[in-house]
Amino acid sequence: MTITQSLFYFLAFVAIFSSLLVVTAKNPIHSVLYLILTFFTLTGEYILLNAQFIGIVNIIVYAGAIMVLFLFVIMLLNLNVESEPQKTNLMKFIGIITGGIGLVVLTAALKSTDPSNTVVIQEVDMGLVKNLGQVLFKEFLLPFEIVSILFLSAMVGAVLLARKETK
Amino acid sequence: MSSIIIIAITAIVVLYLGLYKVKSALLPVSVLGLLGAAASLVCVWDKNISYFNDMLVFNNYAIAFSILLIATTILIFLLSGNYFEKISSNVAEYYTILLFALSGGVVMVSFQNMSMLFIGIEILSVSMYIMAGIKKTDSASNEAALKYFLMGSFATGILLFGIALIYGATGSFNLVQIAGKASEQPLLFYAGVIFMLIAMTFKVGVAPFHFWTPDVYQGAPTLVSSFMSTVVKTAGFAAFLRLFGSAFTSVPAIWTVTLVVMVVLTLLIGNITAAFQQNVKRMLAYSSISHAGYMLIAILLLGQASPNAILIYSVAYSIASVASFGVMVAVKEQKGSDDLSAFNGLGRTNPVLAFVMTVALCSLGGIPLTAGFFGKFYIFGVAIAANYTWLIAIAVLMAAVGIYYYFKVIIAMYLRESENSESIQLSLAYKFVLIFCIMITILLGIAPALITNIL
Amino acid sequence: MTLSILIFLPIAFMILVALLPSSLNHTFKYITLAVSIVQLIIAGFMYTHFNHSLPGVFNEQTFQFVEKHSWINLNLGTLGKLQIQYFLGVDGISIGLLILSAFVMAIAALASWEIKTNEKGYFCLFLLLNAAIMGVFSALDFFLFYIFYELMLLPLYFLIGIWGGARREYASIKFFLYTLLGSVFMLLVIIGLYFSVKDPVTGAHTFDMLSMMNPANYVQGSVFDIHSSTLLFGVSPRLLAFAVLFIAFAIKVPIVPLHTWLPDAHVEAPTPISIILAGVLLKIGGYGIIRICMGIFPDGAIYFSWVIGLIGVVSIIYGAMSALAASDLKRLIAYSSVSHMGFVLLGIASLTVEGISGAMFQMISHGVLSSMLFFLVGVIYNRVHDRDIANFRGLYSQMPTYSVFVFIAFFASLGLPGFSAFIAEAFSLIGAFNSNSIPRWMAVVGAVGILLGAAYFLWTLQRMFFGKTRFKGGEEWQSQLSDVNTREIIALSPMAVVALVLGIMPFLFFDMSNSAMVELVNSTLKSGSLHLETLSKLLN
Repeated sequence: MTITQSLFYFLAFVAIFSSLLVVTAKNPIHSVLYLILTFFTLTGEYILLNAQFIGIVNIIVYAGAIMVLFLFVIMLLNLNVESEPQKTNLMKFIGIITGGIGLVVLTAALKSTDPSNTVVIQEVDMGLVKNLGQVLFKEFLLPFEIVSILFLSAMVGAVLLARKETK
Repeated sequence: MSSIIIIAITAIVVLYLGLYKVKSALLPVSVLGLLGAAASLVCVWDKNISYFNDMLVFNNYAIAFSILLIATTILIFLLSGNYFEKISSNVAEYYTILLFALSGGVVMVSFQNMSMLFIGIEILSVSMYIMAGIKKTDSASNEAALKYFLMGSFATGILLFGIALIYGATGSFNLVQIAGKASEQPLLFYAGVIFMLIAMTFKVGVAPFHFWTPDVYQGAPTLVSSFMSTVVKTAGFAAFLRLFGSAFTSVPAIWTVTLVVMVVLTLLIGNITAAFQQNVKRMLAYSSISHAGYMLIAILLLGQASPNAILIYSVAYSIASVASFGVMVAVKEQKGSDDLSAFNGLGRTNPVLAFVMTVALCSLGGIPLTAGFFGKFYIFGVAIAANYTWLIAIAVLMAAVGIYYYFKVIIAMYLRESENSESIQLSLAYKFVLIFCIMITILLGIAPALITNIL
Repeated sequence: MTLSILIFLPIAFMILVALLPSSLNHTFKYITLAVSIVQLIIAGFMYTHFNHSLPGVFNEQTFQFVEKHSWINLNLGTLGKLQIQYFLGVDGISIGLLILSAFVMAIAALASWEIKTNEKGYFCLFLLLNAAIMGVFSALDFFLFYIFYELMLLPLYFLIGIWGGARREYASIKFFLYTLLGSVFMLLVIIGLYFSVKDPVTGAHTFDMLSMMNPANYVQGSVFDIHSSTLLFGVSPRLLAFAVLFIAFAIKVPIVPLHTWLPDAHVEAPTPISIILAGVLLKIGGYGIIRICMGIFPDGAIYFSWVIGLIGVVSIIYGAMSALAASDLKRLIAYSSVSHMGFVLLGIASLTVEGISGAMFQMISHGVLSSMLFFLVGVIYNRVHDRDIANFRGLYSQMPTYSVFVFIAFFASLGLPGFSAFIAEAFSLIGAFNSNSIPRWMAVVGAVGILLGAAYFLWTLQRMFFGKTRFKGGEEWQSQLSDVNTREIIALSPMAVVALVLGIMPFLFFDMSNSAMVELVNSTLKSGSLHLETLSKLLN
């Protein structure tokens, strides 16, 4: 086992373990902290794949900005065990069944997939900022531009909903 | 492409007009911009132009649906009159957001690359989350927005997951290339297809992913609901068909069974629940679920006739919905409620409104000589030719149930007495839209060939 | 052009009535009456110009007053082209009913004098209904037929629902749902037929009924192809289609047990609409069975003849029994309709020329007589707003002229020789006796039905018209119950005369329809048994 492989397995284990903890943790703050841990391990995976840009973005945006927002929201809502709505056993049962079926399907799909030789990355520099930028501004220029409509719409909406009515 | 640019620019212009408090110019400018966008689409008819590495391809399918979306939006704008002003003072922003949503819809019907599909759906959905919640003081509206947002985001996640799986299986986002490589990694591909199927059916409100529809439609302001049930739904179905019709045709066996079950569930749940509603708005919400079921049949059969079938159905359904929601807005404004009882005696106090509603409901129910009849007729015809007799037997039975609950409104309007006999005053634009919708409905009922041979 | 004028004349005047201001309320009824009279004149013109020797039924060349234009052309992609035609024409089957409709509509227009509220809406719907009825009897394209058939439903629904009696809402929605359920399934059969049949000339799929009647036009291996061995829900699709179409039309006839909408609709409907319901609407059911079910699926007609005969007999007896038990005069007449229409089914089931001619004649005769009966009920109901049999006694001395009309109508209806109903019922029963397809006992039981008919009519006469004058409303009613006025006499006399003339000179009708009936029966028996043989071979 090479060092990369062993790193991969370690990170993967931590990622799965911490994401399980996100779901099972009783305290919401703990959940968020585990989530941050998950994001960090994923960033590690990205870097292993030589996808530096996405790794950095993942840290800055998800682990950084979004998680802080999460913490704020949880703080403001003052969530605790008592105020959390309790699911009935039936709901839990149904949830487990549905989720389980989804898991089986996905595992089957992944299992049957031919093990590709992507572990040895063919284009080593594919995930670098430079290459990414070239793809983004050449092939995917239109989506990149159109997304601005999405953001503008969301911004207008956010202002609209947050502003106090002056009536 | 130019139409998307025109719509986006119009939206920004409208935003600035709002900034400089030119309220009276909002509507004319929006409508003019939309007409320009429609005109630019008409110019490229039959040209089949593709843009930016096949991100968008404006073939006739895309153009026809885009024009339908734009036309529906114009009608809804004309209905809006001073509707938004009563909700809040930020009218310009509402127009802007609806215009942005429309541009998302146009992207959805013309995409050729799944990244565009995703962006189109997001533009449309995010705008709708906002519009559902614009009645800030109304708790039903807030609930609608939050519900829509949470569930919609979840569906978006599933959509992304599906796209990722399909990318993993084929190495491409392009519909044509995906179709070419569909069999390389079959199981991964199938899983992706099913995920995308779930996401798309969620977006168009098909059972069992329909739970958000009634609450959102009822909670949102009525005109926004009419936008959702027409523009959003039409764009959703057009995108659905475009996706499945070009990328996943080689593996129908994997998704048709799922879709058949969904069709049956949707028809049963939509129609039977609608039959028990006492609130007209909620009834129309459930009936919109059932209409999604009929349109789904056309996707299920996926053939040369499907685009036409969906187009005819969408035209008939959109026009009739705009008219019926329009009448509902007028009634609600006077009576303060959109319960069935608010419609009592409308036939006597407001013969025109009642007549418009009657024709619109007949069209929704599929009574002959209205456009809606041909929509259903076409879909049933295609289905029978494909030997789905039992499915159509259910669909026909449900169509009869549909007529039953549409007629409950007609009964209320003509056979019941109202408490007050004041007639409702309507603006000129309002009357124009209602009469226009009815004329189109009847015209297409008598001469459906006007639109049926387009695609 | 004649048929188009017949259909679109009322529509043109409907638009006129809709556009006229409401201040001209009182003229609407005259406009409507004028339209009906013009239609009656056109119908008379058609009667005199009708060539009796041309059979029609299956052959487009032998239809008369034919109009054929392309209407809708849809491109269905790989499924070919959808072709709908504006195709009208009449033959021996439809001409009689067309004339009857014009006649009944004129009577109903006269009866509409009683309508006092919202005249504009009423007469618009009335004219629309008129157009749809004419269209149903003259359409030869199945799709066009369906459109007119549905178009008839809506005005009727509103006419009952808005201008009806106390339980009008219930009655109208019941009527609507019953008919609708039949017609949506009819639509399925239509679509199936469409995909099975190709126009021999153009090669496109078609809704042309006449093409559907010719087995040579069926696409090999299609759903309704005679040589196809596919099963639908375990039955032959053709037999299933016959059953579905039969039920759709039989709801209109109506048959027991699908008749329950009829008494309610009749009781709640205003008089003119009752007249149209009984006089014309029920005939559309019989007409559809003869023209469409038998014409397109002769195999089904033979296969199910026993069942149809049984339903006919049950309807005759059950209708008569219910009429005996009815306490409301209008309900009594409604049930007598069920009973009389049973003879139509019995005649059809016999699959003999006599039987089917009798069935056709029964439809004409019943159309006239039931219109007259409902008009007569309307006369007293208008005066005192009551029609319970028990509340009237000795009407004869109070309203002598009225009573004479009632005697004529009752005696004609119970099958007194000399009146039309006698000929009709006699022919149906002779057909049933001579039939190879239904057992004799059905004819015998049917004959018992006539006895029961005599019983309830005579008993009603005895209860209401004889004896000492005594009304529930006392003095007040006595002053209100004036004898029939001129308008009513004008409306009633022609009906009485027609019933009598048809009874004495039935050849007026038989001459017209005979060649069509012979053609229909011969061909049905021939091709139907051929199809059944093919079918049984295929299944074994």
